[in-house]
Amino acid sequence: MDRDISISVKGLSVSYERKRVLSNIFLELKTGRVIGVVGPNGAGKSTLFKAILGLIEPNTGLITIRGKNPDKVRKEVAYVPQKNDVDWSFPATVMDVVLMGRYPFKGVFQRLSSEDKEIAMDALKEVGMEAFKDRQIGELSGGQQQRVFLARALCQNAQVFFLDEPFVGVDILTEEKIITILKKLAKQGKSLLVVHHDLGSVQDYFDDVILLNQRLIAYGPTETTFNDENIRRTYGGQLPVLHKMGEIDE
Amino acid sequence: MLETLQTLFTEEWAIRALIASTMVGVTCGLLGSFIVLRNMALIGDALAHAILPGVVVAFSIFGMSTVGFFIGSVAAGLITAIIITWIQGNVNTKNDAAIGIVFTTMFAIGVIGISAANRRPGVHLDLKDFLFGTTLGISNEDIYLLLGIGVYVIISVVVFYRYLFATTFQPVIAKTMGISIRMIHYFLMLILSFVIVASLKAVGIILVVAMLITPASTALLLSNKLEKVLIISSLIGFLSAVIGMILAIQYDTTPGPMMAVIAAFFYILAVFFSPMKGLVFKTIRNRNLRNKIYLEDTLKQAFRLQQKEELSFKNLQEQLGYNTNLLKNNLSKMAKQNIVQLSPELVLTQTGQDQANKLVRAHRLWETYLVNEMGLSAEQIHEDAEKYEHLLTEDMLDEVDAKLGFPKEDPHGSPIPPKG
Repeated sequence: MDRDISISVKGLSVSYERKRVLSNIFLELKTGRVIGVVGPNGAGKSTLFKAILGLIEPNTGLITIRGKNPDKVRKEVAYVPQKNDVDWSFPATVMDVVLMGRYPFKGVFQRLSSEDKEIAMDALKEVGMEAFKDRQIGELSGGQQQRVFLARALCQNAQVFFLDEPFVGVDILTEEKIITILKKLAKQGKSLLVVHHDLGSVQDYFDDVILLNQRLIAYGPTETTFNDENIRRTYGGQLPVLHKMGEIDE
Repeated sequence: MLETLQTLFTEEWAIRALIASTMVGVTCGLLGSFIVLRNMALIGDALAHAILPGVVVAFSIFGMSTVGFFIGSVAAGLITAIIITWIQGNVNTKNDAAIGIVFTTMFAIGVIGISAANRRPGVHLDLKDFLFGTTLGISNEDIYLLLGIGVYVIISVVVFYRYLFATTFQPVIAKTMGISIRMIHYFLMLILSFVIVASLKAVGIILVVAMLITPASTALLLSNKLEKVLIISSLIGFLSAVIGMILAIQYDTTPGPMMAVIAAFFYILAVFFSPMKGLVFKTIRNRNLRNKIYLEDTLKQAFRLQQKEELSFKNLQEQLGYNTNLLKNNLSKMAKQNIVQLSPELVLTQTGQDQANKLVRAHRLWETYLVNEMGLSAEQIHEDAEKYEHLLTEDMLDEVDAKLGFPKEDPHGSPIPPKG
């Protein structure tokens, strides 16, 4: 087993009802990289995440995380879902949410300790949200909400991070903060997968990029892989507008 | 009323009724919070109705036995939960329709079964007791069973709190953490059946859902933290059940409806008077904010006019578009705070000018922030700044100012007044 491979996907296919969403995907993702997952709507980006995380049953395919069956490495995997998948009126405070990151470390009859609370506090400090620990999550701005969920992933002390569109509806300061933390985590040898929409920032944010449109279009270092040819093959007819937006951003 | 209270503490049947209603209130309140948050109110109602055939079958096997009723009811409850979940997963029927079909069928079978059982000599099962509860029919065994269930439910919620929280709040995340959502679901269905069976004698099956969802919904209006919601909900459940039971004894009626009405009374109180989410305080807060905005807008316009040496009541009214009464009102409030002088002529005091300066600073700083940091264009921002200038505190403004590097001009080129 190659030690530098964090996630290996072999022959993954997924369909909902009878509609094929992902077709025969092969991937070997390296550790210590921030990896962008890019593709048009309906390309199967979230589905790829869910399949790797074991949230949906694939038709075919073999997935290993750090050389093991995903079920065996739950603790080492943190998932930050899309913001609109969250019930923001739920009676949960920022601290309640971040402490969830400690759940995988606790047996059924164990309570959360003061050490767990310290770890959660440290994570909140890292994302700059410690002053908000007793706020109900619905009372935060979009950027603050995203930082809270990142803090939960941090205090889970995971090796592999999945972030589904973390930059949607957040302010620029939060976006910078998040990307700084992600890059720091990569330096520590963790693997980070990020579903991303803004083509303009792909070059700046990601070490590697996965271009996806139901099939795997390309995967490799952003510098060489994220080129016009590959982008056109990924986006097809939708390309011109999107690419223009990217240029303006630069 | 005094007589009733005396009865409560001397007559054994009344003491039993009180203990029973206490356990019902607390356990329903506790579990109801999760039922409400998981959008399972209808399932609670369904399980309650569906235990009737379980009771009838148990009766025909064990006779009038508390333990028999318990086993029969829990079995019926679980079978119902399993059938509903199966239909929802495998048949093309809408979720709420599936629930409706299963529980009405079970309930109907139960009602038919009771009529059939009553035809046998020497048997008298009163359907009304099952439907709405009874003050007299609670036996000592019932009390032991209730206490046992109560303790079990409370311990379960405390021990499995993390699992219940995670699977209720974000089932998907719970699953990635290796928590079995399905197991927690059925576990919850099991203790829900326990609680419903325990409530059978005191509230009856028709209205037990009121005890499950009304106190919990009330608590959700009163707190934003799940642990507190659970405690408040149990407390309100307890009060509703006990007060309901006392009134039922007083007026010699069935306790279920009384409890449901009292629970609704607490709910209505919370709807209007909850400090955070109550309609009354919301209205007051909105009105205060609106008044503040009127005052500040008046101040700002007065300041502008005064700089142009055109400040007069008429000009001010023209600029603001307020009716005469509103403007007079605002100005006399401002005069009281020594912001304006009304006579001999309308003029802003030094305090007034300082305050106006602060507002202009807030407005222009916020506009600068929106353009420089959020990337909005100069045309998009005025309205937003108009709104936020009233909401930003001094500290926030200083922070914004520092973050922007103490700018001298806003995006429209107007000077930003320095901190006064």
